[in-house]
Amino acid sequence: MIDFVQTTVDGVMVGCSYGLLAIGFTLIFGVIRRLNLSYGPSIMVGAYLGTFLYVQFGAGPLLVAVAVVAGAAIAGIYVERLCFAPMKGGAGVASMVSSFAIWMQLEQAMILLLPRHTYAFPALATGAPWEFGPFTLRPDQLLMLILAIATGIIVNTIIYRTRFGTGLRLVTSNQIAAHLVGVNVRNVMLGAFALASAVGGFAGFLVLAIDQQVTPMFGMWATIKGLIAMMIGGLGSVPGAIAGGLVLGVIEAHAQGLVGPQARDLTAYLLLFLCLVLRPGGLFGKAPEADGAFSSRST
Amino acid sequence: MDDHVVSVLSNIGVISFVALSAYLLLLTGEISFGQQAFFGIGAYAAAIATAMWGWPLAAGLMLGALAGASSALLVGLPTLRLHGLYFAVATLAFAEMIRILLELFHYQVAVDGELVGPNGTDGFGGIRYVFQNKIGAFEYMLLIYTLLATALAGLWLLERSRLGVAFRMIGGDETLAKTSGIAITRHRMIAAALAGALAGIGGGLYAHLTTYIEPRIFDIMLGVHALAYGLIGGLGTALGPLLGVLIDIGLLGSTRLFSGYRMIVFGGLVAVLLIFRPRGLLNEEMVHRIGSFWRRVWPTDPSQKSHGKT
Repeated sequence: MIDFVQTTVDGVMVGCSYGLLAIGFTLIFGVIRRLNLSYGPSIMVGAYLGTFLYVQFGAGPLLVAVAVVAGAAIAGIYVERLCFAPMKGGAGVASMVSSFAIWMQLEQAMILLLPRHTYAFPALATGAPWEFGPFTLRPDQLLMLILAIATGIIVNTIIYRTRFGTGLRLVTSNQIAAHLVGVNVRNVMLGAFALASAVGGFAGFLVLAIDQQVTPMFGMWATIKGLIAMMIGGLGSVPGAIAGGLVLGVIEAHAQGLVGPQARDLTAYLLLFLCLVLRPGGLFGKAPEADGAFSSRST
Repeated sequence: MDDHVVSVLSNIGVISFVALSAYLLLLTGEISFGQQAFFGIGAYAAAIATAMWGWPLAAGLMLGALAGASSALLVGLPTLRLHGLYFAVATLAFAEMIRILLELFHYQVAVDGELVGPNGTDGFGGIRYVFQNKIGAFEYMLLIYTLLATALAGLWLLERSRLGVAFRMIGGDETLAKTSGIAITRHRMIAAALAGALAGIGGGLYAHLTTYIEPRIFDIMLGVHALAYGLIGGLGTALGPLLGVLIDIGLLGSTRLFSGYRMIVFGGLVAVLLIFRPRGLLNEEMVHRIGSFWRRVWPTDPSQKSHGKT
């Protein structure tokens, strides 16, 4: 029982960062209705920039966080301009493949910047784990939890309380209607990419600060984990993304605790597969809407 | 021929099978991130057959194709009614599950006093059929290209048959195809099985080419590359994916052009290309133009000629 609670708590901690990654992913998908495979690699650009500042100039966690978020946002804008903005309506597959090509490009560029396999990443907070009776809690993980929740609240405020957020929600629900009432759809898309990549960048910063190391695999990791959490939670839904992240984090933690590290990924993919086959709208989403909007035959 | 050239050409031929497999599904309008799974299943099945059970190569390759096709049918049952992104991600999830299961797959027997067989993450070595039967690298390359040519001829015939027309129609407009009386799911199942068989043969050839396979070869990167080859080369003809493979492996991978900056140049080029040609270099329009040009300089069809005169 004690193990079960401890594992669940650990899962929630990791799940928060998955949730943040999924929020970014879902914002992009909601607005453009296409899959951006370069989402993770954009975050990786930020992460490598931050690491570069840390390794070369000994920058502190705060400066590194700013660099990671800014780097990810700039990379996100680059991806949007090259892979999504110039594509015509029917070219959903081409956009996706194009974002894959840019993934390769960004990854290679970052490997040229920092060629070693692993680099150190600054820790969020140091100190011995706190003990509450039989349970332990790492201070940096608690800080990560708080920061993740705070980010969620900020993103929620931007989406529901600002003018930009109103436009973003309008474009998400109906692009033509948004255009007709005078929303600049292209600017909203660009803004959504920048915001999404920045949120993803912050999620990446939190994850890396816990791991305290960064490898070239990080881009792929972020894309896959964000994608799974988003699909489990339901496409285009922010609360769904957080819930999907938490579910993924907790189930992964238990699978690892019960069987082993390989079961962790296997369970994540099995969960995703079952979710798609049995409830394509996600655990918390509505019926599938991506139909046609994503595929090559859409208008 | 130079050894290096032979090995690069063999590689191109083998990878072309996965690219064709993804292309065939793209024709029916389904994007699969998971064709590498059938490539992997085919590779393991064919290698187990020849290296462990002592089957001849042809039988092994056939088993690989069969394993690819039947597993594609099996996974197609629940997934093929999904659309667009849902199908794409479901195939990704399936393929990654297969990869992890192959990492857990241990099955070894002693052959000539040596343990041979899949050994989890350590891979599966000693697939020496080609070496033991004294088939040279050049001859093996010829075998790969004979099979590839057969597959291409099959696809060429397919695209001219009712079935092929139905595939393109489903890919072009599913609702229209449905109202024209085409059974969508059944056609997609046929396409998935054929694509699985193609990938399975390719996997079998790959295993015997490299003599060593391991689960991480069959990861998502291979799947997305397979998909990208069709998009780069063009979706108008089965030669499109081959052109894509040729550009990537032949031109950039083997010549060490741009060396460390290869992916930076290539990634940017692909992105820019797709802005102007979202259905690739050899898209439907290009294929049509080449075709009509060809008919003008080489008017072979007598019925068409006489038709023009009257």
